Amino acid sequence: MEPVFDVIIVGGGVVGCAVAWYLSHFDLRVVLLEKERDVCCGVSKANTGVIHSRSYFTPHTLKGELHLRSLELFPSLERELDFHCHKVGALTIAFSLHDLQYLNTLKERGKNPHAEIIGPQELKELEPLVNPEVIACYYDPETKVVSPFLLTLALAEFAVLNGVEFIFFTEVLGFEETRDALSVQTNRGVYRARVAINCTGIHATSLAQKTGETIPLHRLYRGQYFVLDRDCQSLVKHVLYPVPTVGSKGILVTPTPEGNILVGPNFELIPEEDTATTKIGLEEVERGGGRLVPSLPLHKTITTFSGIRPTLPDRDFRIFFSLRFPRLLHLCGIESPGLTASLGIAEYVGEQIQKTGILFREKKVAPRVSFPVFRTASWEEREKLIAQDPDWGDIVCRCEEVTLAEIKHALSSCLPASTLDGLKRRVRVMAGRCQGSFCGMHLPDILMGKSLQKREAIMKSGEKSWYCLDTIGRAETENASTR
Amino acid sequence: MPRRVKAQVVVIGGGPAGMASALAAFENGARPVFLLERGEYLGGILNQCIHPGFGLHLFGEELTGPEYAERFKEKLSRTQVEVLLNTTVLEITPQRIVRAVNPQGVWEFETTRAVLSMGCRERTRGMLRLPGTRPAGIFTAGLAQYLVNIEGLLPGKEVLILGSGDIGLIMARRLTLEGATVKAVVEVRDSLSGLLRNYVQCLHDFNIPLWLSHTVTTIQGKERVEGVVVSRVDEGGRAIPGSERVVPCDTLLLSVGLIPENELSRQASIPLCPRTGGPVINEYFACEREGFFACGNVVGVFDLVDYVTLVSQGVGEAVNIPTAFSPAKYHLVPGDGVSLVIPQKIQEGKKGFLFLRSLQSFRQAAVSFSFQGKEFHKLRVPLCYPSEMIRLNIQDIPWPSQGGEIRIGITGERIRGIY
Repeated sequence: MEPVFDVIIVGGGVVGCAVAWYLSHFDLRVVLLEKERDVCCGVSKANTGVIHSRSYFTPHTLKGELHLRSLELFPSLERELDFHCHKVGALTIAFSLHDLQYLNTLKERGKNPHAEIIGPQELKELEPLVNPEVIACYYDPETKVVSPFLLTLALAEFAVLNGVEFIFFTEVLGFEETRDALSVQTNRGVYRARVAINCTGIHATSLAQKTGETIPLHRLYRGQYFVLDRDCQSLVKHVLYPVPTVGSKGILVTPTPEGNILVGPNFELIPEEDTATTKIGLEEVERGGGRLVPSLPLHKTITTFSGIRPTLPDRDFRIFFSLRFPRLLHLCGIESPGLTASLGIAEYVGEQIQKTGILFREKKVAPRVSFPVFRTASWEEREKLIAQDPDWGDIVCRCEEVTLAEIKHALSSCLPASTLDGLKRRVRVMAGRCQGSFCGMHLPDILMGKSLQKREAIMKSGEKSWYCLDTIGRAETENASTR
Repeated sequence: MPRRVKAQVVVIGGGPAGMASALAAFENGARPVFLLERGEYLGGILNQCIHPGFGLHLFGEELTGPEYAERFKEKLSRTQVEVLLNTTVLEITPQRIVRAVNPQGVWEFETTRAVLSMGCRERTRGMLRLPGTRPAGIFTAGLAQYLVNIEGLLPGKEVLILGSGDIGLIMARRLTLEGATVKAVVEVRDSLSGLLRNYVQCLHDFNIPLWLSHTVTTIQGKERVEGVVVSRVDEGGRAIPGSERVVPCDTLLLSVGLIPENELSRQASIPLCPRTGGPVINEYFACEREGFFACGNVVGVFDLVDYVTLVSQGVGEAVNIPTAFSPAKYHLVPGDGVSLVIPQKIQEGKKGFLFLRSLQSFRQAAVSFSFQGKEFHKLRVPLCYPSEMIRLNIQDIPWPSQGGEIRIGITGERIRGIY
């Protein structure tokens, strides 16, 4: 019989990894199953990356409650994970008296003595390029931005350091209740646990339906984004929100921690999971961004992408135990602000697990130490790093100034990158203005060494996402050898 | 502690421009001369251009890229030009402090003359804002060329090429020779972007179709490219609704233009020209900031490496000319039919070359120079293509005695299609 885990987490997005992080503080046997080959491959990876402050929470909802709880947890998390959110502040832009009312609501909700409603003149000093038609603006200094992937990775790495096992390529197919445990059936065998948590993002409702729940399937909304070149960095310094429309926070203009500017998302209902960008969608984002910042330099776009949010009709999170499998906890409708609320969700999930009678005994945890980043290091630090290891002086990606040392670390850390996208999200090779036209030349060698056979196995992300399809001259070599 | 070095000339980038300018600077007596190259080898893009066609103007013979590069590497090895390979310049200050790193450590050069020869990079899918999914199998043509010719990897088997730039044309032939099927080369304009000889030798001779006035409007495929949607475009380059067709393929190559790499120039507060994307320069290829020169594709994208070498040799000589940074007398402005003019400024009009690129293809063309609205010089060009630069000797032009703005235009009979 397979060993029994205390908890099986299904899904390695930001919520799954936050649950893993939370549970790793206790003396529990925890495993996380992920169907892709990396963490943060679904909903979590493609969003605006804003840690929305309390001004933007939704009252009288579970998502609002967990949003606030999460904000309480962030400061200690940042220390423990050696991961830092960038406190950039936010400006919500009002163009009409109706909009102005909304600003007052934000101020009431924010309960922050430093937040204030400011006029066009003051706004112009903070953000000179904002549309001059603005009549007022709510300034909230607490808003932060993060890289959603790096936050997820930091949570996951902490969990790994503290005993949580991560298993990839493992897709959950169904469940079966046995006398003392829940059997989780996967494409790679059966795992057994006292409790399993469905953190499968988009797929959470279909998995819940499989277990007999009556919950409706998620309605999927797609949001498209532009990413602007880092040399636009100084143009927008705060997160710029419009006054929200029905259903979404609207199209934002956001500085990212890496120094890019993100414009988006629009909000379009789509029939099935589809992360393509479209001409119409991008044009809508262009108009939305242009309304906030008329001179937005979209000709400096380095890439576009889209993300999906899985929503329930009441637009709230639903976290509940399965009726048929009382050891199975479903997390459905985890959409915006899921990234912000992820820590609160994790704590809440922990409490639900405790209710099943599992004993939570705190243990001593090892802190996570983040790896240096060459690009943001001072010249003195760079000199020291190169003296320690010459690979720090070998710049592979010139746009983002990524060194061989950082790439090697990403390929050998406790949750190593195994694909080009994994590497890109960890260290930003191929993520700069040339989008891999230069470093894409050298990555095959670095990833696989000189073995040609293996180099064909380099993947962008999924199983069939080969970077190259063959080697040169193999037909001749093979013919020659058979002759 | 960083390695602090005083230099007379520091050349940034060891491609054809950097090699020629470092060599010429040394031959003209500059000491010490440093040549900083981020790659493992000198030669830049030439190393991956294994096809012939280089050197016809300069050496009167047809060389491959590596052969062309080798001539300069060999000459450099016989000088005391200090070549630092694997060395990436990360910062240049307006005061000409050049900071670089390599596996030995951090370097700080304090130099009297800095030569910018960083070359160019390829336009990407993101810059085109080409919508669709984001699968594997989308490459810029130059990246694909490197993978094939240097890494020995075949990027794809069923290929569509967007853009009829030279690297795209060359790669259409190269991939065909390696067993891939090139479905078509798709060009949004109504005429070729690359050189005519490349069309003939790379597409025509291999029966690869060229679809003019077409573009790719969507990319399909979840993990690897599965197909692209190709549409016809109208005169304004907009996709015509209803003209879409899906072309199944596993690879999309982009050959949609090159952009001078001027991130370092911006750091050094060097004024850039919006037309060329490179520094504003005079006939000495001196920038509008004391002590800085620029040469090669960092100035504006050239059609032939021979021309790059030629102007870079001029830079090597100019580093010792004290008046190279004197104020300019003439300011050259691209007029109708002209996409770029290099140089943009002229001091005396007595030396150097003037390069022009036309906006469209013309037959029976005329290049016209005007000053204060009056044409003062005109010369006939039987055929001119945007892909082929017009090179003139600056001294052959009867510059007006008074200084000021000179407008250069090209007119002629428009040619569409392949001519």
